[in-house]
Amino acid sequence: MNDLILTPKGWIESFGEIVKFGAQMVRDVATLRVLKFFGEALRQAGILIISSTLVIWGLVFIIGLECGLEGGYFSYSDGTPAYSGVFAAWCDLRELVPLVFGYMMAAKVGTGIVAELGSMRISDEIDALEVMGISGMRFLCATRLLAALMVLPFVYLASIGAGFFASYLAVVQQLGYVSSGGFFLIFWEFQNPPDLLYSLIKAMAMAVVIVIVGCYYGYNASGGPVGVGTATAKSMVLNLVSVHLIGMLGTQLFWGANPRAPIGG
Amino acid sequence: MLEEVGNMMILTGRTLVSAVRPPYPYGSEFTGQFLFAIRLCWFPLLISTIAFGYEAPGLQAANFLVLFGALDRLGGFFVLASIREFAPFVDAIVLAGVAGTAITADLGARKIREELDALQVLGVDPIKNLVVPRFLALMLVTGLFDIYALIFGVFGGILATVVNHAPLGPFFATFFNNAETTDLWGSVVKTTLFGAIIAIVCCYKGMTASGGAEGVGRAVNQAVVIAFLGVFAFNYAFTETLLATHPEITTIIK
Repeated sequence: MNDLILTPKGWIESFGEIVKFGAQMVRDVATLRVLKFFGEALRQAGILIISSTLVIWGLVFIIGLECGLEGGYFSYSDGTPAYSGVFAAWCDLRELVPLVFGYMMAAKVGTGIVAELGSMRISDEIDALEVMGISGMRFLCATRLLAALMVLPFVYLASIGAGFFASYLAVVQQLGYVSSGGFFLIFWEFQNPPDLLYSLIKAMAMAVVIVIVGCYYGYNASGGPVGVGTATAKSMVLNLVSVHLIGMLGTQLFWGANPRAPIGG
Repeated sequence: MLEEVGNMMILTGRTLVSAVRPPYPYGSEFTGQFLFAIRLCWFPLLISTIAFGYEAPGLQAANFLVLFGALDRLGGFFVLASIREFAPFVDAIVLAGVAGTAITADLGARKIREELDALQVLGVDPIKNLVVPRFLALMLVTGLFDIYALIFGVFGGILATVVNHAPLGPFFATFFNNAETTDLWGSVVKTTLFGAIIAIVCCYKGMTASGGAEGVGRAVNQAVVIAFLGVFAFNYAFTETLLATHPEITTIIK
Protein backbone atom coordinates (compact mmCIF):
# COMPACT_ATOMS: atom_id res chain seq x y z
CA MET A 1 0.00 0.00 0.00
CA ASN A 2 2.83 2.31 0.95
CA ASP A 3 4.40 1.57 -2.41
CA LEU A 4 1.23 2.61 -4.16
CA ILE A 5 1.48 6.07 -2.66
CA LEU A 6 5.24 6.52 -2.84
CA THR A 7 5.68 5.58 -6.50
CA PRO A 8 3.34 8.22 -7.95
CA LYS A 9 4.77 10.72 -5.48
CA GLY A 10 8.23 10.02 -6.87
CA TRP A 11 6.94 10.47 -10.41
CA ILE A 12 5.36 13.82 -9.61
CA GLU A 13 8.53 14.97 -7.89
CA SER A 14 10.77 14.11 -10.81
CA PHE A 15 8.22 15.60 -13.22
CA GLY A 16 8.49 18.88 -11.34
CA GLU A 17 12.29 18.69 -11.44
CA ILE A 18 12.25 18.13 -15.20
CA VAL A 19 9.88 21.04 -15.77
CA LYS A 20 12.13 23.30 -13.70
CA PHE A 21 15.19 22.10 -15.59
CA GLY A 22 13.46 22.53 -18.95
CA ALA A 23 12.28 26.03 -18.06
CA GLN A 24 15.87 26.97 -17.25
CA MET A 25 17.03 25.62 -20.62
CA VAL A 26 14.27 27.41 -22.51
CA ARG A 27 15.02 30.63 -20.65
CA ASP A 28 18.70 30.40 -21.60
CA VAL A 29 17.74 29.98 -25.24
CA ALA A 30 14.94 32.56 -25.27
CA THR A 31 17.01 35.29 -23.63
CA LEU A 32 19.73 34.56 -26.19
CA ARG A 33 22.33 34.05 -23.44
CA VAL A 34 23.17 30.85 -25.24
CA LEU A 35 24.56 32.85 -28.17
CA LYS A 36 27.77 33.23 -26.18
CA PHE A 37 28.36 29.61 -27.14
CA PHE A 38 27.00 29.84 -30.66
CA GLY A 39 29.99 27.93 -32.02
CA GLU A 40 29.19 24.98 -29.78
CA ALA A 41 25.55 25.13 -30.88
CA LEU A 42 26.63 25.01 -34.52
CA ARG A 43 28.86 22.03 -33.76
CA GLN A 44 25.94 20.22 -32.10
CA ALA A 45 23.75 21.06 -35.10
CA GLY A 46 26.36 19.54 -37.37
CA ILE A 47 26.50 16.38 -35.26
CA LEU A 48 22.71 16.17 -35.36
CA ILE A 49 22.66 16.44 -39.14
CA ILE A 50 25.42 13.97 -39.79
CA SER A 51 24.53 11.27 -37.29
CA SER A 52 20.75 11.34 -36.97
CA THR A 53 18.99 12.53 -40.11
CA LEU A 54 19.48 9.43 -42.24
CA VAL A 55 18.15 7.10 -39.56
CA ILE A 56 15.10 9.31 -38.99
CA TRP A 57 14.34 9.45 -42.70
CA GLY A 58 14.81 5.71 -42.97
CA LEU A 59 12.28 4.95 -40.27
CA VAL A 60 9.79 7.47 -41.66
CA PHE A 61 10.24 5.90 -45.09
CA ILE A 62 9.34 2.47 -43.74
CA ILE A 63 6.25 3.81 -41.99
CA GLY A 64 5.24 5.61 -45.17
CA LEU A 65 5.33 2.27 -46.99
CA GLU A 66 3.20 0.80 -44.22
CA CYS A 67 0.62 3.61 -44.44
CA GLY A 68 0.43 3.26 -48.18
CA LEU A 69 0.03 -0.50 -47.94
CA GLU A 70 -2.76 -0.43 -45.35
CA GLY A 71 -4.45 2.50 -47.06
CA GLY A 72 -4.27 0.84 -50.44
CA TYR A 73 -5.80 -2.42 -49.22
CA PHE A 74 -8.37 -0.58 -47.10
CA SER A 75 -9.70 1.60 -49.88
CA TYR A 76 -9.58 -1.30 -52.34
CA SER A 77 -11.80 -3.34 -50.04
CA ASP A 78 -14.17 -0.37 -49.87
CA GLY A 79 -14.37 -0.44 -53.62
CA THR A 80 -12.81 3.01 -53.76
CA PRO A 81 -9.18 2.38 -54.69
CA ALA A 82 -9.06 5.85 -56.26
CA TYR A 83 -9.27 7.29 -52.75
CA SER A 84 -6.09 5.66 -51.41
CA GLY A 85 -4.66 9.16 -51.39
CA VAL A 86 -6.89 10.23 -48.49
CA PHE A 87 -5.55 7.55 -46.23
CA ALA A 88 -1.97 8.23 -47.30
CA ALA A 89 -2.28 11.98 -46.79
CA TRP A 90 -3.89 11.81 -43.36
CA CYS A 91 -1.96 8.86 -42.03
CA ASP A 92 1.38 10.29 -43.11
CA LEU A 93 1.07 13.99 -42.55
CA ARG A 94 -1.15 14.15 -39.51
CA GLU A 95 -0.35 11.11 -37.43
CA LEU A 96 2.38 8.68 -38.13
CA VAL A 97 5.19 10.83 -39.46
CA PRO A 98 5.16 13.06 -36.33
CA LEU A 99 4.93 10.00 -34.08
CA VAL A 100 7.65 8.05 -35.82
CA PHE A 101 9.82 11.15 -35.91
CA GLY A 102 9.29 11.35 -32.15
CA TYR A 103 10.20 7.67 -31.66
CA MET A 104 13.40 7.99 -33.61
CA MET A 105 14.29 11.29 -31.97
CA ALA A 106 13.85 9.65 -28.58
CA ALA A 107 15.85 6.60 -29.57
CA LYS A 108 18.68 8.23 -31.45
CA VAL A 109 19.00 11.80 -30.18
CA GLY A 110 17.45 11.55 -26.70
CA THR A 111 19.38 8.53 -25.49
CA GLY A 112 22.48 9.81 -27.27
CA ILE A 113 22.35 13.01 -25.23
CA VAL A 114 21.87 11.06 -22.00
CA ALA A 115 24.84 8.83 -22.74
CA GLU A 116 27.07 11.75 -23.65
CA LEU A 117 26.16 14.13 -20.83
CA GLY A 118 25.97 11.27 -18.34
CA SER A 119 29.52 10.19 -19.04
CA MET A 120 30.65 13.82 -18.77
CA ARG A 121 28.93 14.06 -15.41
CA ILE A 122 30.42 10.92 -13.92
CA SER A 123 33.93 11.70 -15.15
CA ASP A 124 33.54 15.12 -13.45
CA GLU A 125 33.88 17.04 -16.70
CA ILE A 126 30.79 19.12 -15.92
CA ASP A 127 32.27 20.12 -12.56
CA ALA A 128 35.46 21.07 -14.37
CA LEU A 129 33.44 23.34 -16.64
CA GLU A 130 31.82 25.02 -13.66
CA VAL A 131 35.22 25.55 -12.04
CA MET A 132 36.37 27.32 -15.19
CA GLY A 133 33.44 29.68 -14.80
CA ILE A 134 31.38 28.26 -17.67
CA SER A 135 27.78 27.43 -16.88
CA GLY A 136 27.36 23.75 -17.66
CA MET A 137 23.64 24.22 -18.17
CA ARG A 138 24.19 26.84 -20.81
CA PHE A 139 27.21 25.30 -22.52
CA LEU A 140 25.90 21.74 -22.69
CA CYS A 141 22.11 21.79 -22.48
CA ALA A 142 20.99 25.12 -23.92
CA THR A 143 23.30 24.76 -26.93
CA ARG A 144 21.78 21.37 -27.69
CA LEU A 145 18.29 22.81 -27.51
CA LEU A 146 19.27 25.67 -29.81
CA ALA A 147 20.87 23.22 -32.24
CA ALA A 148 17.70 21.12 -32.26
CA LEU A 149 15.55 24.18 -32.91
CA MET A 150 17.80 25.29 -35.76
CA VAL A 151 18.06 21.97 -37.55
CA LEU A 152 15.03 19.84 -36.79
CA PRO A 153 12.30 21.79 -38.62
CA PHE A 154 14.14 21.16 -41.86
CA VAL A 155 14.88 17.55 -41.01
CA TYR A 156 11.21 17.08 -40.21
CA LEU A 157 9.96 18.69 -43.42
CA ALA A 158 12.30 16.49 -45.41
CA SER A 159 11.11 13.43 -43.53
CA ILE A 160 7.52 14.24 -44.45
CA GLY A 161 8.77 14.12 -48.03
CA ALA A 162 10.30 10.70 -47.39
CA GLY A 163 6.99 9.45 -45.99
CA PHE A 164 4.98 10.78 -48.94
CA PHE A 165 7.41 9.24 -51.40
CA ALA A 166 7.16 5.88 -49.67
CA SER A 167 3.34 5.98 -49.66
CA TYR A 168 3.38 6.80 -53.34
CA LEU A 169 5.67 3.86 -54.01
CA ALA A 170 3.48 1.47 -52.03
CA VAL A 171 0.12 2.60 -53.40
CA VAL A 172 0.91 3.37 -57.03
CA GLN A 173 3.99 1.38 -57.95
CA GLN A 174 3.51 -1.69 -55.78
CA LEU A 175 -0.24 -2.25 -55.40
CA GLY A 176 -1.18 -0.45 -58.59
CA TYR A 177 -4.91 -0.07 -57.89
CA VAL A 178 -4.79 3.62 -58.79
CA SER A 179 -2.93 5.61 -61.40
CA SER A 180 -0.26 8.08 -60.46
CA GLY A 181 -2.31 11.10 -61.52
CA GLY A 182 -5.43 9.88 -59.72
CA PHE A 183 -3.47 9.25 -56.55
CA PHE A 184 -1.93 12.72 -56.51
CA LEU A 185 -5.20 14.47 -57.31
CA ILE A 186 -6.87 13.11 -54.17
CA PHE A 187 -3.65 13.21 -52.18
CA TRP A 188 -3.10 16.95 -52.59
CA GLU A 189 -6.80 17.71 -52.35
CA PHE A 190 -6.92 16.35 -48.81
CA GLN A 191 -4.16 18.46 -47.30
CA ASN A 192 -3.28 22.12 -47.16
CA PRO A 193 -0.52 24.32 -45.74
CA PRO A 194 -2.10 24.74 -42.27
CA ASP A 195 -2.07 20.95 -41.92
CA LEU A 196 1.64 20.99 -42.62
CA LEU A 197 2.15 23.73 -40.06
CA TYR A 198 0.17 21.83 -37.38
CA SER A 199 2.12 18.69 -38.09
CA LEU A 200 5.36 20.64 -37.77
CA ILE A 201 4.23 22.13 -34.46
CA LYS A 202 3.41 18.67 -33.14
CA ALA A 203 6.77 17.26 -34.14
CA MET A 204 8.74 20.21 -32.79
CA ALA A 205 6.93 20.00 -29.45
CA MET A 206 8.00 16.37 -29.26
CA ALA A 207 11.56 17.24 -30.23
CA VAL A 208 11.87 19.96 -27.59
CA VAL A 209 10.52 17.68 -24.86
CA ILE A 210 12.87 14.89 -25.91
CA VAL A 211 15.93 17.14 -25.83
CA ILE A 212 14.94 18.51 -22.41
CA VAL A 213 14.33 15.04 -20.97
CA GLY A 214 17.60 13.77 -22.44
CA CYS A 215 19.57 16.68 -21.00
CA TYR A 216 17.90 16.28 -17.61
CA TYR A 217 18.70 12.59 -17.25
CA GLY A 218 22.24 13.03 -18.57
CA TYR A 219 23.05 16.11 -16.54
CA ASN A 220 21.84 14.50 -13.33
CA ALA A 221 23.29 11.03 -13.91
CA SER A 222 25.08 9.38 -11.02
CA GLY A 223 26.46 6.00 -10.02
CA GLY A 224 29.25 5.29 -12.47
CA PRO A 225 29.00 3.76 -15.94
CA VAL A 226 26.12 1.58 -14.76
CA GLY A 227 24.21 4.67 -13.64
CA VAL A 228 24.58 6.19 -17.10
CA GLY A 229 23.10 3.06 -18.66
CA THR A 230 20.17 3.08 -16.25
CA ALA A 231 19.55 6.78 -16.82
CA THR A 232 19.53 6.19 -20.58
CA ALA A 233 16.96 3.43 -20.23
CA LYS A 234 14.81 5.56 -17.93
CA SER A 235 14.82 8.57 -20.25
CA MET A 236 13.43 6.33 -22.99
CA VAL A 237 10.36 5.44 -20.90
CA LEU A 238 9.45 9.04 -20.23
CA ASN A 239 10.13 10.04 -23.83
CA LEU A 240 7.87 7.36 -25.27
CA VAL A 241 5.00 8.28 -22.99
CA SER A 242 5.35 11.99 -23.68
CA VAL A 243 5.58 11.45 -27.45
CA HIS A 244 2.25 9.64 -27.37
CA LEU A 245 0.62 12.21 -25.11
CA ILE A 246 1.81 15.15 -27.23
CA GLY A 247 0.58 13.37 -30.33
CA MET A 248 -2.84 12.85 -28.80
CA LEU A 249 -3.17 16.40 -27.47
CA GLY A 250 -1.98 17.84 -30.78
CA THR A 251 -4.52 15.86 -32.77
CA GLN A 252 -7.30 16.81 -30.40
CA LEU A 253 -6.29 20.46 -30.55
CA PHE A 254 -5.69 20.82 -34.28
CA TRP A 255 -8.11 18.37 -35.85
CA GLY A 256 -10.47 17.40 -33.05
CA ALA A 257 -13.19 19.93 -33.79
CA ASN A 258 -12.58 20.41 -37.48
CA PRO A 259 -11.54 17.55 -39.76
CA ARG A 260 -10.27 20.04 -42.35
CA ALA A 261 -11.44 17.88 -45.26
CA PRO A 262 -12.64 19.25 -48.60
CA ILE A 263 -16.01 17.46 -48.35
CA GLY A 264 -19.28 17.84 -46.50
CA GLY A 265 -20.33 20.88 -44.57
CA MET B 1 27.63 -2.94 -39.95
CA LEU B 2 27.32 -6.22 -41.83
CA GLU B 3 29.59 -7.84 -39.30
CA GLU B 4 27.22 -6.76 -36.52
CA VAL B 5 24.23 -8.21 -38.32
CA GLY B 6 26.15 -11.42 -38.81
CA ASN B 7 27.13 -11.54 -35.15
CA MET B 8 23.50 -11.04 -34.16
CA MET B 9 22.49 -13.92 -36.41
CA ILE B 10 25.14 -16.10 -34.80
CA LEU B 11 23.83 -15.09 -31.38
CA THR B 12 20.29 -15.97 -32.49
CA GLY B 13 21.44 -19.40 -33.63
CA ARG B 14 23.37 -20.10 -30.44
CA THR B 15 20.45 -18.90 -28.33
CA LEU B 16 18.02 -21.19 -30.10
CA VAL B 17 20.34 -24.17 -29.82
CA SER B 18 21.08 -23.66 -26.14
CA ALA B 19 17.40 -23.03 -25.43
CA VAL B 20 16.40 -26.52 -26.57
CA ARG B 21 19.48 -28.52 -25.60
CA PRO B 22 19.40 -29.82 -22.00
CA PRO B 23 20.12 -29.02 -19.21
CA TYR B 24 17.63 -26.23 -18.57
CA PRO B 25 19.03 -24.11 -15.75
CA TYR B 26 17.24 -20.92 -16.73
CA GLY B 27 13.82 -21.46 -15.15
CA SER B 28 14.03 -19.00 -12.26
CA GLU B 29 15.85 -16.36 -14.32
CA PHE B 30 13.10 -16.69 -16.93
CA THR B 31 10.37 -16.06 -14.35
CA GLY B 32 12.30 -13.13 -12.96
CA GLN B 33 12.76 -11.51 -16.36
CA PHE B 34 9.14 -12.16 -17.29
CA LEU B 35 7.84 -10.40 -14.18
CA PHE B 36 10.45 -7.66 -14.55
CA ALA B 37 9.30 -6.86 -18.10
CA ILE B 38 5.63 -6.85 -17.07
CA ARG B 39 6.32 -4.59 -14.11
CA LEU B 40 8.29 -2.11 -16.23
CA CYS B 41 6.00 -2.00 -19.23
CA TRP B 42 2.39 -2.17 -18.16
CA PHE B 43 1.97 1.48 -17.32
CA PRO B 44 3.80 3.13 -20.26
CA LEU B 45 2.04 0.70 -22.56
CA LEU B 46 -1.35 1.54 -21.06
CA ILE B 47 -0.92 5.28 -21.64
CA SER B 48 0.68 4.84 -25.06
CA THR B 49 -1.95 2.53 -26.49
CA ILE B 50 -4.91 4.56 -25.28
CA ALA B 51 -3.34 7.77 -26.56
CA PHE B 52 -2.45 6.19 -29.87
CA GLY B 53 -5.81 4.48 -30.34
CA TYR B 54 -7.70 7.65 -29.51
CA GLU B 55 -5.47 9.82 -31.64
CA ALA B 56 -4.56 8.17 -34.92
CA PRO B 57 -7.27 5.69 -35.82
CA GLY B 58 -9.84 7.12 -33.40
CA LEU B 59 -10.11 10.84 -33.95
CA GLN B 60 -8.91 11.07 -37.53
CA ALA B 61 -10.97 8.18 -38.84
CA ALA B 62 -14.01 9.32 -36.85
CA ASN B 63 -13.61 12.79 -38.33
CA PHE B 64 -13.63 11.28 -41.77
CA LEU B 65 -16.55 8.93 -41.16
CA VAL B 66 -18.70 11.58 -39.47
CA LEU B 67 -18.63 13.54 -42.72
CA PHE B 68 -20.48 10.64 -44.33
CA GLY B 69 -22.69 10.01 -41.31
CA ALA B 70 -21.16 6.54 -41.04
CA LEU B 71 -19.50 6.63 -37.64
CA ASP B 72 -20.66 3.06 -36.95
CA ARG B 73 -17.99 1.90 -39.43
CA LEU B 74 -15.30 2.95 -36.99
CA GLY B 75 -15.45 -0.49 -35.40
CA GLY B 76 -14.60 -2.16 -38.70
CA PHE B 77 -11.78 0.26 -39.22
CA PHE B 78 -10.38 -0.61 -35.80
CA VAL B 79 -9.93 -4.22 -36.83
CA LEU B 80 -7.60 -3.05 -39.54
CA ALA B 81 -6.02 -0.27 -37.55
CA SER B 82 -5.64 -1.71 -34.10
CA ILE B 83 -5.38 -5.48 -34.46
CA ARG B 84 -3.40 -5.64 -37.65
CA GLU B 85 -1.17 -2.62 -37.41
CA PHE B 86 -1.03 -0.31 -34.45
CA ALA B 87 -1.37 -2.55 -31.43
CA PRO B 88 1.61 -4.70 -32.48
CA PHE B 89 3.54 -1.63 -33.47
CA VAL B 90 3.03 0.37 -30.24
CA ASP B 91 3.58 -2.82 -28.29
CA ALA B 92 6.96 -3.36 -29.95
CA ILE B 93 8.00 0.28 -29.59
CA VAL B 94 7.22 0.33 -25.87
CA LEU B 95 8.77 -3.06 -25.20
CA ALA B 96 11.95 -2.10 -27.08
CA GLY B 97 12.11 1.32 -25.46
CA VAL B 98 11.35 0.19 -21.93
CA ALA B 99 12.20 -3.48 -21.39
CA GLY B 100 14.83 -3.68 -24.14
CA THR B 101 16.80 -0.70 -22.88
CA ALA B 102 16.63 -2.05 -19.33
CA ILE B 103 18.05 -5.39 -20.53
CA THR B 104 20.88 -3.67 -22.40
CA ALA B 105 21.70 -1.48 -19.41
CA ASP B 106 21.70 -4.51 -17.13
CA LEU B 107 23.86 -6.75 -19.34
CA GLY B 108 26.11 -3.82 -20.26
CA ALA B 109 26.73 -3.11 -16.59
CA ARG B 110 27.66 -6.76 -16.02
CA LYS B 111 29.99 -6.67 -19.00
CA ILE B 112 31.71 -3.49 -17.76
CA ARG B 113 32.12 -4.93 -14.27
CA GLU B 114 33.58 -8.08 -15.92
CA GLU B 115 30.89 -10.23 -14.36
CA LEU B 116 30.31 -11.97 -17.68
CA ASP B 117 33.98 -12.98 -17.85
CA ALA B 118 33.77 -14.16 -14.25
CA LEU B 119 30.78 -16.32 -15.16
CA GLN B 120 32.69 -17.90 -18.01
CA VAL B 121 35.65 -18.61 -15.75
CA LEU B 122 33.27 -20.37 -13.39
CA GLY B 123 32.13 -22.53 -16.29
CA VAL B 124 28.68 -20.93 -16.52
CA ASP B 125 27.57 -20.27 -20.07
CA PRO B 126 26.32 -16.65 -20.27
CA ILE B 127 24.20 -17.39 -23.33
CA LYS B 128 22.37 -20.24 -21.69
CA ASN B 129 21.96 -18.52 -18.33
CA LEU B 130 21.45 -14.90 -19.32
CA VAL B 131 20.43 -14.58 -22.98
CA VAL B 132 18.07 -17.55 -23.31
CA PRO B 133 15.79 -16.60 -20.40
CA ARG B 134 15.61 -12.98 -21.61
CA PHE B 135 14.96 -14.12 -25.16
CA LEU B 136 12.10 -16.43 -24.15
CA ALA B 137 10.67 -14.00 -21.60
CA LEU B 138 10.63 -11.09 -24.02
CA MET B 139 9.03 -13.18 -26.74
CA LEU B 140 6.29 -14.32 -24.38
CA VAL B 141 5.75 -10.88 -22.85
CA THR B 142 5.59 -9.10 -26.21
CA GLY B 143 3.12 -11.66 -27.52
CA LEU B 144 0.91 -11.39 -24.44
CA PHE B 145 1.14 -7.62 -24.28
CA ASP B 146 -0.18 -7.53 -27.84
CA ILE B 147 -3.59 -8.58 -26.50
CA TYR B 148 -3.32 -5.96 -23.78
CA ALA B 149 -2.32 -3.26 -26.31
CA LEU B 150 -5.18 -4.34 -28.54
CA ILE B 151 -7.77 -4.07 -25.77
CA PHE B 152 -6.63 -0.61 -24.77
CA GLY B 153 -6.22 0.48 -28.38
CA VAL B 154 -9.85 -0.41 -28.96
CA PHE B 155 -10.65 1.45 -25.76
CA GLY B 156 -9.15 4.53 -27.45
CA GLY B 157 -11.59 3.94 -30.30
CA ILE B 158 -14.45 3.70 -27.81
CA LEU B 159 -13.36 7.04 -26.34
CA ALA B 160 -13.38 8.57 -29.82
CA THR B 161 -16.91 7.24 -30.39
CA VAL B 162 -18.09 8.61 -27.05
CA VAL B 163 -16.51 11.98 -27.76
CA ASN B 164 -18.57 12.13 -30.95
CA HIS B 165 -21.75 11.43 -28.91
CA ALA B 166 -22.44 8.24 -30.82
CA PRO B 167 -23.82 5.00 -29.34
CA LEU B 168 -21.34 2.19 -28.77
CA GLY B 169 -23.50 -0.66 -30.06
CA PRO B 170 -22.76 -0.08 -33.77
CA PHE B 171 -19.05 0.24 -33.00
CA PHE B 172 -18.95 -3.23 -31.45
CA ALA B 173 -21.26 -4.65 -34.11
CA THR B 174 -18.99 -3.66 -36.99
CA PHE B 175 -15.91 -4.53 -34.94
CA PHE B 176 -16.96 -8.12 -34.32
CA ASN B 177 -18.42 -8.52 -37.79
CA ASN B 178 -15.08 -7.75 -39.32
CA ALA B 179 -12.76 -9.36 -36.80
CA GLU B 180 -11.14 -12.46 -38.25
CA THR B 181 -9.16 -15.12 -36.47
CA THR B 182 -6.44 -14.73 -39.08
CA ASP B 183 -5.95 -11.13 -38.03
CA LEU B 184 -5.60 -12.09 -34.41
CA TRP B 185 -3.11 -14.89 -34.83
CA GLY B 186 -1.20 -12.84 -37.37
CA SER B 187 -0.96 -10.07 -34.81
CA VAL B 188 0.19 -12.36 -31.99
CA VAL B 189 2.73 -14.23 -34.12
CA LYS B 190 4.07 -10.94 -35.40
CA THR B 191 4.59 -9.47 -31.94
CA THR B 192 6.17 -12.67 -30.66
CA LEU B 193 8.75 -12.38 -33.42
CA PHE B 194 9.16 -8.67 -32.60
CA GLY B 195 10.02 -9.77 -29.07
CA ALA B 196 12.67 -12.12 -30.44
CA ILE B 197 14.23 -9.33 -32.52
CA ILE B 198 14.25 -6.91 -29.59
CA ALA B 199 15.73 -9.47 -27.21
CA ILE B 200 18.54 -10.49 -29.55
CA VAL B 201 19.50 -6.91 -30.45
CA CYS B 202 19.40 -5.70 -26.86
CA CYS B 203 21.28 -8.71 -25.44
CA TYR B 204 23.91 -8.48 -28.16
CA LYS B 205 24.49 -4.77 -27.59
CA GLY B 206 24.59 -5.24 -23.82
CA MET B 207 27.06 -8.12 -23.98
CA THR B 208 29.39 -6.28 -26.33
CA ALA B 209 29.33 -2.96 -24.45
CA SER B 210 32.79 -1.47 -24.09
CA GLY B 211 34.59 1.79 -23.80
CA GLY B 212 34.43 2.84 -20.18
CA ALA B 213 32.08 5.44 -18.82
CA GLU B 214 30.21 6.19 -22.01
CA GLY B 215 30.08 2.56 -23.10
CA VAL B 216 26.86 1.40 -21.48
CA GLY B 217 24.90 4.51 -22.44
CA ARG B 218 26.19 4.24 -25.98
CA ALA B 219 25.19 0.58 -26.10
CA VAL B 220 21.64 1.40 -24.98
CA ASN B 221 21.43 4.15 -27.59
CA GLN B 222 22.53 1.85 -30.43
CA ALA B 223 20.41 -1.05 -29.21
CA VAL B 224 17.18 0.90 -29.25
CA VAL B 225 17.88 2.42 -32.67
CA ILE B 226 18.68 -0.95 -34.22
CA ALA B 227 15.70 -2.59 -32.51
CA PHE B 228 13.31 0.06 -33.88
CA LEU B 229 14.67 -0.25 -37.41
CA GLY B 230 14.61 -4.04 -37.26
CA VAL B 231 11.08 -4.17 -35.90
CA PHE B 232 9.72 -1.71 -38.46
CA ALA B 233 11.38 -3.41 -41.40
CA PHE B 234 10.17 -6.81 -40.24
CA ASN B 235 6.68 -5.38 -39.66
CA TYR B 236 6.51 -4.19 -43.24
CA ALA B 237 7.60 -7.52 -44.65
CA PHE B 238 5.24 -9.48 -42.40
CA THR B 239 2.16 -7.32 -43.04
CA GLU B 240 2.86 -7.39 -46.73
CA THR B 241 3.07 -11.17 -46.75
CA LEU B 242 0.02 -11.64 -44.54
CA LEU B 243 -2.16 -9.34 -46.62
CA ALA B 244 -1.02 -10.79 -49.91
CA THR B 245 -1.45 -14.42 -48.85
CA HIS B 246 -4.79 -13.97 -47.02
CA PRO B 247 -6.86 -11.78 -49.34
CA GLU B 248 -10.06 -12.56 -47.38
CA ILE B 249 -8.96 -10.43 -44.40
CA THR B 250 -8.57 -7.32 -46.53
CA THR B 251 -12.37 -7.17 -46.92
CA ILE B 252 -13.05 -4.79 -44.10
CA ILE B 253 -16.50 -3.37 -44.71
CA LYS B 254 -19.30 -5.76 -43.88
